[in-house]
Amino acid sequence: MRSEGLHVSDQELLLAADGEFPSRRAAEVRSHLAACWDCRARMAEIEGAIVDFARSHRQTLDPMLPAVDGPRARLRAELAALTAESNANSWQRIFWSTSVVRAAAYVSFGLFAIVLAAKFLVQHSTQYGPNSAVIPFERGAGPDHGLTPGATRRVTTRDVCSMAHEDVVREVPTSLRQQVFREYGIANARADDYEIDYLIAPGLGGVEDIHNLWPEPYTSSMWNARVKDALEEHLHQLVCAGKVDLSTAQNDIATDWIAAYKKYFHTDRPLSLRSCLDSVTLLRSPRA
Amino acid sequence: MRLLPTESIFELSFPSVATVASSAKPSEIECEVMRLFEQFRNPLLRYALSFGIPVHDAEEITQEVFLSLFRHLQLGKSRKNLRGWIFCVAHNHALKQRYANQRLRDRTASDWMIAERQVDPSPSPEDQISSTQRQRRLLAVVDALPNDDQSCLRLRAEGLRYREIAAVLNMSLGAVSISLTRSLARLMRADGR
Repeated sequence: MRSEGLHVSDQELLLAADGEFPSRRAAEVRSHLAACWDCRARMAEIEGAIVDFARSHRQTLDPMLPAVDGPRARLRAELAALTAESNANSWQRIFWSTSVVRAAAYVSFGLFAIVLAAKFLVQHSTQYGPNSAVIPFERGAGPDHGLTPGATRRVTTRDVCSMAHEDVVREVPTSLRQQVFREYGIANARADDYEIDYLIAPGLGGVEDIHNLWPEPYTSSMWNARVKDALEEHLHQLVCAGKVDLSTAQNDIATDWIAAYKKYFHTDRPLSLRSCLDSVTLLRSPRA
Repeated sequence: MRLLPTESIFELSFPSVATVASSAKPSEIECEVMRLFEQFRNPLLRYALSFGIPVHDAEEITQEVFLSLFRHLQLGKSRKNLRGWIFCVAHNHALKQRYANQRLRDRTASDWMIAERQVDPSPSPEDQISSTQRQRRLLAVVDALPNDDQSCLRLRAEGLRYREIAAVLNMSLGAVSISLTRSLARLMRADGR
């Protein structure tokens, strides 16, 4: 065995071979190698090991590689389609960059938002009296954001994407479920009527906290718990594929998960569960 | 298993998207992507296959990588270390695919199993047996390494430099060199050196 004190370590030999040392240290290593047969032999062994592994790696995998012609043609066609799409979008950008058009659009949007807000306030002021202590849970699809604003832990994309499946689809403990029902004023809830769901799913960094849990009806019209599950799965995949920023995904799903569903599935109505899974697969499939 | 934040690694020094997006014509970008495809398609496929995922999935991943690269360049994002960038995207997709396959309870083929199926046709029968046994031994050693060590070694086998490997795997240069030193020492021991 070589004495590391007298010789260049394996790690330094590797770094030197890859040109990762500053010039002074690189010159020292070169000088040492010129005079030390032990280190030169060691260097040859290390390089031999890399070469042998690279050869094995290629010999085992190369026979499996399909011919390049088909994938090349497919990529060329996909790129042409993306370029065409991009050119079409650039016309839209030019249109929107016209200041008059943009100003008119902002004004219209502002008016529309004011009308919507007024309508919402009128509806709610007549529905619940001013002295109502607990607002009854409407059997709708969205959470009460006062009770369930959403809560996350400090995570990175890498953290959420490396989570085990059982952590992504974690069950809520019974005691916490009951607490959520109480908070939403739901008495005698049947287990198959609601899913106590995470507003921000664990797979997106959401935590098991009363502020991130709400009773989501399985039975509500079309925006039900199963539809939201599909969105969570889809968003998780988009985040892990680097297509959507984690904080954007968290914000979108916490603000309005139905709007997020429409945005990320490009649809106005929920796809069936089967269709959702298909569409996720299609993300990676060739365009027709 | 861990997926890596591609954007955070490579977007640190990005110039403004809007200003650069208009500077390159899409047709030029298409040509550039096709050039990189010719150069890196096989290395990327091999790298994706080394995760034990089926060939058609690996092929899909390489397609997706080059489409992502096109979008990346089209937005005027950094061209620094493009080789590292495309391997990083492939790494993330391959991990994701392997995870999805595991969830579907598909059995994934390891390198060792691949080596069993694949026989190098060139040497004589005796040499072939000896060579295949040695290959199996080496690949079995690699399969037993921690995931990051395996990735370091495979990226090195595809010719990436230490700095590039560090960027792909979001590790420090020192960690890459330690990982490779450790892995190569094991390979050499397994090979009786």
